[in-house]
Amino acid sequence: MSGTALGIIAAILLFTIIFGWLAVRSIRMDPTQYIVGGRSFGWLLLWLLMAGEIYTSFTFLGAAGWAYTRGAPAFYILCYGTIAYIISYFMLPRIWRTARENNLLTGPDYFRFIYDSKWLGALVALVGFIFLVPYVTLQLSGLEILLRIAGYGALNSVLAVGIAFALIVLFVFFMGLRGTAWASIVKDVLVLLGVIFAGIVLPIHFFGSPAAVIDRVLAEKPTWMTLQGTTTPNGTVWFVSTVVLTALGFFMFPQSMAATYSAKSAETIRRNAIFLPFYQLMLLLVYFAGFTALLVHPGLKGPAGDQSFMLVLQQYYPPWVVGAIAGAGCLAALVPASAQVLAAASLVSKNLLADYGFVRTEQGETLATRIAVILIAVLAFAFWAVARTSLVGLLLIAYNGVTQFFPGVVLSLSPRTRPNPTGVGAGIIVGIATLAYFSATGASIPWGLNTGFLALILNVIVLVVVTLVLGRRAVSASP
Amino acid sequence: MVEPRRSSLSIILALIPALALTIGVPFANHLEPRIFGLPFLLDYIVLWILLTPAFMYTVYRLEHRQE
Repeated sequence: MSGTALGIIAAILLFTIIFGWLAVRSIRMDPTQYIVGGRSFGWLLLWLLMAGEIYTSFTFLGAAGWAYTRGAPAFYILCYGTIAYIISYFMLPRIWRTARENNLLTGPDYFRFIYDSKWLGALVALVGFIFLVPYVTLQLSGLEILLRIAGYGALNSVLAVGIAFALIVLFVFFMGLRGTAWASIVKDVLVLLGVIFAGIVLPIHFFGSPAAVIDRVLAEKPTWMTLQGTTTPNGTVWFVSTVVLTALGFFMFPQSMAATYSAKSAETIRRNAIFLPFYQLMLLLVYFAGFTALLVHPGLKGPAGDQSFMLVLQQYYPPWVVGAIAGAGCLAALVPASAQVLAAASLVSKNLLADYGFVRTEQGETLATRIAVILIAVLAFAFWAVARTSLVGLLLIAYNGVTQFFPGVVLSLSPRTRPNPTGVGAGIIVGIATLAYFSATGASIPWGLNTGFLALILNVIVLVVVTLVLGRRAVSASP
Repeated sequence: MVEPRRSSLSIILALIPALALTIGVPFANHLEPRIFGLPFLLDYIVLWILLTPAFMYTVYRLEHRQE
């Protein structure tokens, strides 16, 4: 059985790698090409890249996992993406223009340029790198679950994660950003089919219709489809603060900035922002998959919930179905992981090494990027071994961190509101310190607020106070 | 390309779905009425996701008149 399922996964991955490789082989790989795809992506490729990075194994397994283990709090995922696209409509075209006119490659480049501060660029690079680790861990962990289930016991957890690790590194080296965008085509089609199967076929098979699943869940768990309480854990205050935090952080990830830079024009970005919300509706099907699994295969606790509907498939469907859907899921992990690893690696090679003169040539920068790829993959592996938290949990850690960049970005858009760079840096440091404090002590947060949201408030207070004390520095750069 | 003309109307249009999907959610936190079999909370969220592109397209049209 494991041979069939794993064989199908291997075939799907091989096909995708060949597809991506054929699409990019004629293009010479300099850093601009490797990191931001030569800044030439039209709306289709950009849409695929953005969707490719956004709809990850988190969507595929994690959202179902939370629907399974928590119910209505999982609906936050539907809301935040939509709001992020609204914000992006106003914010990203300006960032894109600054990046284009000044030849910026990475997210931290934007900070370095707009605030004319090399250390702020380095700080943002370091923080961005650190908080990409849990995001890559999320993909690694998703791959591990899929390979283990498709292995029907033939692969243990450590072996599965080892293979996952090798796949991620292989994928990055073969693809670059452009190959990743093309691979996204194969991924999106397969993931859509997989999600339709899990969210429509599964409910119909077991209960007659998707709506019947809701009735059955409510019969067993009457509280499952609404938020319980106001200031309780996962209550309405948590819900709203988490939606706001994650919506603000959405485009602060280094790989999202790189995706923005890769656009051909500001118009491309605006059109994307208008229509991407429709893509969110795919999540609805993922929730149905999670709810169906809750009824058919109850009893999974905590992080184990991420395996919910895959276990149902393994139990009730033939190996080729498991292989096909797990293969789609593996792409949903590999494509975004590739973009994330590339972005993280470019932070190291560009903002921590090249900006300080440690590497001086294009070839040196490309080599440093490749070494950094291995480094982040190793760190993600280590974090996987230590953290053992749910996919949604991993994502929220990553968001808490990168959202701390938001005040510095949004206030930089107009010269009239641009704060003092020291204030921006101090705000980020205080925000991260707040996160570290709550994570280390496990102290409870007032009113059920999201931790990252509290950190963001303190960040803004520090930013404003420092700017008032030091005064706004006149910066020659204009956006 | 001409920089789009930003008016307070476009900001308000964009704020409507954004507020609906944040501070609006606690007010929609009900099970009934169930529409299409979904709990009302989910109906409400899905409705606003469908409306958002309409709002943003209107913003886009407003900003790109007379170009």
